[in-house]
Amino acid sequence: MTTLLAPAGSPEAVQAALDAGADAVYVGLKGWSRGGARGELTWDELVTSRRRAAAAGRDLQVALNIIPKPDDRARLFERIPLLLDLGIRTLIVNDVGILGTLRREFPALRVTASIGCGAQTASDVSFFRDLGAHAVVLPGTIGPEEVRGMAAVGGIAVEVMLHMVEEFILLGKCWMPSYVHLKPSPLPDDAPARSLPEGAERGLRQTGSMKRGGVGACFKICQTPWDLYQGDRWVDARLFPSRQISRRLDVAAYVESGVEVLKLQGRSLPPEELGPLVRRYRAALDGRSGEGAVADAPMALPVSWTVVGR
Amino acid sequence: MSGFELNTSIANLRDLRASDLGAYDAIYLGDIYCRLYEANFLERPDDLREGIRILREQGKRPYVATYAAPRNDFLPRIQKTLEVAATAGAEAVEIHNLGVLKIAHDQFPGLPVHVGGFANVYTDAGVEVLRGFGAVRFTPNYELSLDEIREIVTTCQAPMELLVHGKMPLGVSDYCFLLEYEEKWGIKCPDLCQKDLFLKQGDWAMKSVGKGILSGKDVCMLEHLPRLLADGHRHFRIETLSESPEYRREVAGVYREALGRAADAPFDLDTGWWNVVRAHARIGVCNGFYFGKSGMDYAGIRPEAVGSLLTISPSAQ
Repeated sequence: MTTLLAPAGSPEAVQAALDAGADAVYVGLKGWSRGGARGELTWDELVTSRRRAAAAGRDLQVALNIIPKPDDRARLFERIPLLLDLGIRTLIVNDVGILGTLRREFPALRVTASIGCGAQTASDVSFFRDLGAHAVVLPGTIGPEEVRGMAAVGGIAVEVMLHMVEEFILLGKCWMPSYVHLKPSPLPDDAPARSLPEGAERGLRQTGSMKRGGVGACFKICQTPWDLYQGDRWVDARLFPSRQISRRLDVAAYVESGVEVLKLQGRSLPPEELGPLVRRYRAALDGRSGEGAVADAPMALPVSWTVVGR
Repeated sequence: MSGFELNTSIANLRDLRASDLGAYDAIYLGDIYCRLYEANFLERPDDLREGIRILREQGKRPYVATYAAPRNDFLPRIQKTLEVAATAGAEAVEIHNLGVLKIAHDQFPGLPVHVGGFANVYTDAGVEVLRGFGAVRFTPNYELSLDEIREIVTTCQAPMELLVHGKMPLGVSDYCFLLEYEEKWGIKCPDLCQKDLFLKQGDWAMKSVGKGILSGKDVCMLEHLPRLLADGHRHFRIETLSESPEYRREVAGVYREALGRAADAPFDLDTGWWNVVRAHARIGVCNGFYFGKSGMDYAGIRPEAVGSLLTISPSAQ
């Protein structure tokens, strides 16, 4: 059965997603998830959110999808037993090293290779299956027909991010922001006390590095105007292209192609916006496509912007 | 063979034939960004065989690159490329994509694999995972500092390949926005991306090569070569995929000579080297992320020698 996995960036958003019909909700743990502070939960908020999900009989997943330095990685692994104690069973990660280590050291965990792992082919899916991942997330840029062959790999669940922003540079393959600005910043200090020995130095994460934690911003440099020069001659002012992908109308085709999880992007959405979004996809998944139908956001790419010569 | 390897990358047979490769030990063949790049080795098996033959004849180690971000429709072509690499005598393939790594591991187990910079090797744990899939050499993610790279090497003794000069890859896309300019400029693909195209905001610049974005400044590690050797590194890349044959030859000449002297104490930097570096760096030079700063900073020992640019600051080392 295909399930709906919704994002949330606060306990209130978790509740909104549950009320709207999400089968499961994923959240970020403050300091350890890509996407930054706006969409991350403190430990206390995580506890609250887990209780709410459990009360609704749903699953709460945690994104630990940055790549910490070795010292910080040890701190991250110290948190895993606490997450297990809390009832968290699924972690979303985006580094093959962390994925392999988690599978080896915490066999009770279910581990998902995040969209930041960059899987786009059936071979990528096979790689993550062989590595021990239970699921792999594909971008919604990949249509249902192409996904069918990837879901057929077997031995690993295929998730598709149906609602997402497609930026110019592929997810997990961009270090333009850190090229202009890279600054270490302290990890948050609100983790459970027993996870951090007294006097221990708090870790650092790299502001500006999307792979290692963006702290609320990747500076969105692809969304600011650039001057394009040919040699020394100015030829244009432009943005990097991007677009909102909203594949609500393709939900049935994805289900038919063998996708196990339909995933939505948007941990920074407020509850009042998240609820309707989840409700629309819930209706589509339940075959009630007309219910709550609202025009999806327009594709922002220029018409000429086709995928050429892949 | 010298105690180090200096290598670079070349996209097609035309550039290979036009290039004086005397200062290099090894060459990666193929453009990793785009299938439509002019006469890309990765789309032309016969050219790839010829390129490998030419390199072997010149006494160079032929390596074959693979696409940085393939989609499913690339895979048959990639399998063909790997097959040519294996049968024509390539000494290694460079792989940036984990699915391609699995294909190479399963179908061409005798082919040594160098893991490329887009594979996101950030940690020793990542190295160990990829080793399990047959990787023997690693280009760490460009965001890593030399200290972080040294930690990885210390932990797992993995050979690293470091970019020492040239424009650093910053991202790869499924799309080429330059196609929007075909009509306006009267220049068609595949000629578009071979123009010298830079995206600028103030003193910040990046180079567009269509589906790839590179640093506008050239990474320059010339005066830090002794540190790299002391850290145990022996494989050095001069990135010239989007550069002219003159750049390829002259910059390599500088590094060949400098690496030969880098083990000496003191390491005397030749003024002529800086002149060559300056002449070819349109936007200026930087150190990438090697010193834990933003990628476009320059943390030189003698920044005045470089004569550039706005973000240069004396190093505290």
